[in-house]
Amino acid sequence: MGPYVPKEMTEEVNITPIHPLMNLAHLFATVAVTGLLIYGGLGIAASQLATRIGPKTEEKIGAAITASLPVKTVESDSRVAYLEDLLSELQRSVETAKLGKAEYPPLKVRILEMDAENAMVSAGSYLMVTEGLLAAVTSENELAFVLAHELGHLHHRDPLRAMGRSLVFVALGSLLGIGQSTSALPSVVNLAELSYSRQQETTADDYAQALIVAHYGHGARSLGFFERNREPDIGALNKLVEWQQTHPMSSDRIERLKNRFQQKNWPTTGAATPLPENIGCANFTSCN
Amino acid sequence: MIELITFLILIGVGYFVGQHFESQHYASIKAREKQTLHIPLMTFGAKQTLPHAHEAQMFVGSVVVANDYFKTFSASLRNLVGGRMVVYESLIDRGRREAVLRMKEEAIAWGASQVINIRFETANIAGQQANQASCVEVMAYGTGIR
Repeated sequence: MGPYVPKEMTEEVNITPIHPLMNLAHLFATVAVTGLLIYGGLGIAASQLATRIGPKTEEKIGAAITASLPVKTVESDSRVAYLEDLLSELQRSVETAKLGKAEYPPLKVRILEMDAENAMVSAGSYLMVTEGLLAAVTSENELAFVLAHELGHLHHRDPLRAMGRSLVFVALGSLLGIGQSTSALPSVVNLAELSYSRQQETTADDYAQALIVAHYGHGARSLGFFERNREPDIGALNKLVEWQQTHPMSSDRIERLKNRFQQKNWPTTGAATPLPENIGCANFTSCN
Repeated sequence: MIELITFLILIGVGYFVGQHFESQHYASIKAREKQTLHIPLMTFGAKQTLPHAHEAQMFVGSVVVANDYFKTFSASLRNLVGGRMVVYESLIDRGRREAVLRMKEEAIAWGASQVINIRFETANIAGQQANQASCVEVMAYGTGIR
């Protein structure tokens, strides 16, 4: 054995020769692409689900959502029966209006103790109107237009669509039985921005308009409520704001509907159907 | 937005300062390895005869190397997808070589002609929870003889 001859190691065998920034970029790309795929996949799954979800599952989801509403509902009010009658009359006109067969669960009408004038629908066909709205409408035609607009949302299953990607988790939850508890679901739903897109509003407007014309034979007075509650015109910002809010109708939306009356040759004159007296007060008794 | 800026600053500090210290450390390691090259490090099996020696003493070299923010972030991404933890390879490599050097330098100061039967120990210091300093201790020990 010869004497020890020291030999210097010049190679780095224990370190992968890759620049740390390249490594990070590679990782980022992998994670981003996978994330996007999952996000996109959820979106596709959600839009598929929205049209295919069964009425039972929808009812479950709707029950859970409405149970978590922060607003009190008016209990045992004879106005609910009135609204139900008006709605079923409107629903009967759907066939005349040739709007296609509706496939949403049976309607459940609620009156909310709320002064703001609004109406909304949630999954499971819960249709809610506020006391403020009932006090503000001046003819049945106006009220019917608002209700028909909400029926339009139900017809196109917009409440389910509005839940977006969280619909996938909600539907999975309710299928697996987690949906039975009313506490678990809304927390998932709250993650989503529950808002309808402009396109959905326009489609619901068209639906309501056709339904109103089919029901009353004319469109007179039906837009009155919206015209009184018209959005103040704020110029260029208007387009931006319109994206965000749905119910106070912008001038653009009202104008579009008026033009559509002309295009379709729908009559805009006719007698207004009166509302029952004291509809703004509980059980039609005069308010104190 | 502020969170994003803070994050980018932390990543930037982690990357530039971390890379600077790492290259400095490697320069020092390589220079000192060259200086101590004349003392062999040997390992003997149980049935091999040990080299003849008048005196023997154990020498311990230990070092704690800390992670930087950039490495932690890269590693957390790597943890999602799996694979080689490239950013930690240099960290551990520096630790081992520094520990051996410290042990060897002490042995040389004592007058060792060689250091035999070297062993390594590695310990993770903290780092079990997020937001805690994470660093690794590497210890090398061997028997110096003269």
